[in-house]
Amino acid sequence: MTAPALECHAVTKTFGGLRAVDDVTLTVPCGSLCALIGPNGAGKTTLFNVATNLFAPTSGEVCFFGENTAGLTPQRIAARGVIRTFQAARVFPGMTTLENVMVGAHLHVHSSAVAQMFWTRKSRQEELRLTSGADALLDLVGLRRSRDFPATDLPIGAQKLVEIVRALMTRPRLLLLDEPAAGLNDRETAELAVLLRAICDAGTTIMVVEHNMSLVMGVADTIFVLDAGRLIASGSPQQVQSDPRVIEAYLGRTKEQAS
Amino acid sequence: MSDIIQIVIGGLLQGGVFAIVALGFSLVFRVTNVVNLSQGAFCVLGAMGMYYFQVVFGWPIVPAAIAAVVASTAFGLLVGLLTFVPGVSRLPTSSMLVLTAGLLTFLIGITLLVWGNQPYALPPFSGEAPFVVGRLRIPTQGVWLAAVSAAMIAGLWLLLHKTTLGRALRACAENPVAARLMGIDLPRMMLLSFGLAALIGSAGGVLVAPIMSLQFDSGQFFTISGFISVAIGGMGSFAGSIIGGFLLGVAEQLAAFYVSSLFANTLSLLLLLFVLVVRPAGLFPSGPQRRSDIRDDPRIYRAAVHLDGYRAVILGGAFIGLLALLPAVPLPFGILSSLVISLILFIAVLGLDVLMGYAGQVSLGHAGFMAVGGYAAAILATSYGWPPLAATLVAVFLSVFCALLLSVATARLRGHYLALATLAFGLLIDSVAVGLVDVTGGPSGLVGIPAFEVAGFAFDTPQRMYYLALALSVILVVMLEGGMRCGFGRALKAVRSDQLAAAALGINVGRVKVVALCISAALASLSGSLYAFNFHFLSPEMVSTPRSFEMIAMLVFGGEGTLIGGFFGSLALTLLPTLVQEFAVFKTAVEGMVLVAIFLLMPEGLFGRLALLLDRLPLRLKLARIGADL
Repeated sequence: MTAPALECHAVTKTFGGLRAVDDVTLTVPCGSLCALIGPNGAGKTTLFNVATNLFAPTSGEVCFFGENTAGLTPQRIAARGVIRTFQAARVFPGMTTLENVMVGAHLHVHSSAVAQMFWTRKSRQEELRLTSGADALLDLVGLRRSRDFPATDLPIGAQKLVEIVRALMTRPRLLLLDEPAAGLNDRETAELAVLLRAICDAGTTIMVVEHNMSLVMGVADTIFVLDAGRLIASGSPQQVQSDPRVIEAYLGRTKEQAS
Repeated sequence: MSDIIQIVIGGLLQGGVFAIVALGFSLVFRVTNVVNLSQGAFCVLGAMGMYYFQVVFGWPIVPAAIAAVVASTAFGLLVGLLTFVPGVSRLPTSSMLVLTAGLLTFLIGITLLVWGNQPYALPPFSGEAPFVVGRLRIPTQGVWLAAVSAAMIAGLWLLLHKTTLGRALRACAENPVAARLMGIDLPRMMLLSFGLAALIGSAGGVLVAPIMSLQFDSGQFFTISGFISVAIGGMGSFAGSIIGGFLLGVAEQLAAFYVSSLFANTLSLLLLLFVLVVRPAGLFPSGPQRRSDIRDDPRIYRAAVHLDGYRAVILGGAFIGLLALLPAVPLPFGILSSLVISLILFIAVLGLDVLMGYAGQVSLGHAGFMAVGGYAAAILATSYGWPPLAATLVAVFLSVFCALLLSVATARLRGHYLALATLAFGLLIDSVAVGLVDVTGGPSGLVGIPAFEVAGFAFDTPQRMYYLALALSVILVVMLEGGMRCGFGRALKAVRSDQLAAAALGINVGRVKVVALCISAALASLSGSLYAFNFHFLSPEMVSTPRSFEMIAMLVFGGEGTLIGGFFGSLALTLLPTLVQEFAVFKTAVEGMVLVAIFLLMPEGLFGRLALLLDRLPLRLKLARIGADL
């Protein structure tokens, strides 16, 4: 039995008096596609940031594949195969789409800077191999044509895809996506859902933070629902959808319920 | 005892000017988040205006002072309107820092044109006789200075805290976007802060001109001292700026009296580095601290310049061939030597490009590494009789060691604090080179440096030096291109714009930056050594801060992040003064202007623009052909 991809044990994060994440315990098994949903300000992104150690939790602990993340820098976490994307598309300006994706190959560049400077055969071959990998991924998402254009010139939807492809270039074991569908139209969202399923089926565990129900409901195995920092429900899309607490969190109480 | 008090009074006098400049720094920083390095030049502009109105035109003191301040403030507003304000809204803060360095160079150049290189002193406002209190002597000008500074500080405080305009100014500092949405005219506020800072600075200059003799490049001195004050006190904090100014003034006077006037600078720079390392926000940090480091503002960034391999090899080969044949052509006198110098400087600019263009780390003290390389190699070769090649290599190691020390000391610093620490480093090396008279020859320089030599073959003619520098440049460009087109270059570029996203992809941001600094230090050192061997002479002013700014101008002119671009920059700025002798006096002003204009009008630089055109050429040709077929 392998350790789960992500475990949060009683994670709490407070900012001053605000309990942004309050005693959250959840487990993402290897090979699954999980989603973290909740209304605005529920603490989804904070939980993500705590998990990837952008800030340390006030209490509780986070483990990736059985290893505690305490004290690991974002770069170390990435080296362990846990890659995250950001809420706003963060493509690198001043670089082409291909270069952007190739940055994701950083962990797989084994020739040293010195070898690259001497144009060694090995480093050139490695570069070619990684480039063809990047091209194949860009092909997959239909961005091959844009490979030599500045990534910042692409529309937002395409930039989000570039970010996901860039994350895939690292060959992650666990992919943490922060609102990948924000700013996408319905057709792009549907395509993204297909892509995420395919990535997951190819063996990468995925955890998505999402607002967009249409993306999440169709594709996730397990859904966790946060409200005001607390985990209020978890389970399959059907279970979560019919959970009265979830409905309440999203729609508020009806008058009859309140009375 | 009265000695000390007398020194402290002198220190407070000097500190008063520093405090005034520091106040200008803080004001502009509060409103625009930009460290405006041109601040000190306005002191000199004010003093220069005073000189013309009072001495040349013979006006009485008060009208002359008012006219001088009004004239320099008006000029400041004009400069701000044309350069600073358009820049702030378009450029990332790191580029703005360099742009204001360009403004400083430009203003120094203007002063040089008007004043020449003579020092000027003005008569004191109320006669030469000082106040005598017991055994203490207080110059009357000091009283003027203290009174007017106090009035300006009080006025500024009232303006910022008691008026609607002041509230608008402060709102811009704390949240420019929200301020704008609330209907505050942001560009006007920025211009206003720039103009106010010019006013404060020129008033300070008018007041201080009688106690200090000023010359064209005093602006740099004021900028640096004012900046050290504000960094000690706390960037953006008015009280901090003033206290920092007085602290620095007193510390410098005490150091000059008890240690040596040659080392007074060194000590204040060490003080600055200490404060930067221990308390980067200064002793009295101001409230709002915006973080510009994690991710640069989403303003326009350089275009992704991309020239594919095939064309690069053909064009590059043809270009190198052309350069190699050049010495065979009979050239006018001095041209070949200028080419040698531009190639040697190009080596340093290459390193700067790796650091600034690729890794996005601004270095304002790069000439410091040239100085380390130049002096170490020259001293080993002259005093110890080392072979030049070995001396050069040891100097490179020494520079890399300095770079490592600098990066350890500044590991916690980011954004403009890092750039300012490099400025301090450059100044520190400069002041050590001036101060260690026995080792470096002091201000008058080190003479009798032999020619560069490898295994008995001396590069003692311009022609030989030319081929040496050309060969080295080509090898270095090819090597760096190898690194930059692969994983290493991509890691640098990723770190340049978004450190957090880069780290999230597994890039060791800290290490990448240190490596970039070491590479650029090594190349600057190599360039400095060759420079010394080429001239058989090295003086501190050949490798001091103006040189750092000049190299940045070369890089920006040619195009950052292009490697080869720096060659066109160094060629243009080295060859022009040789070709057009009349141009030499305009050199400083033109350099500054070029830097500012390129940043505003052609941020991708000359070569960057060229590469973009070449990149689109096939498409245009194809279109033309289709057009012809139709």
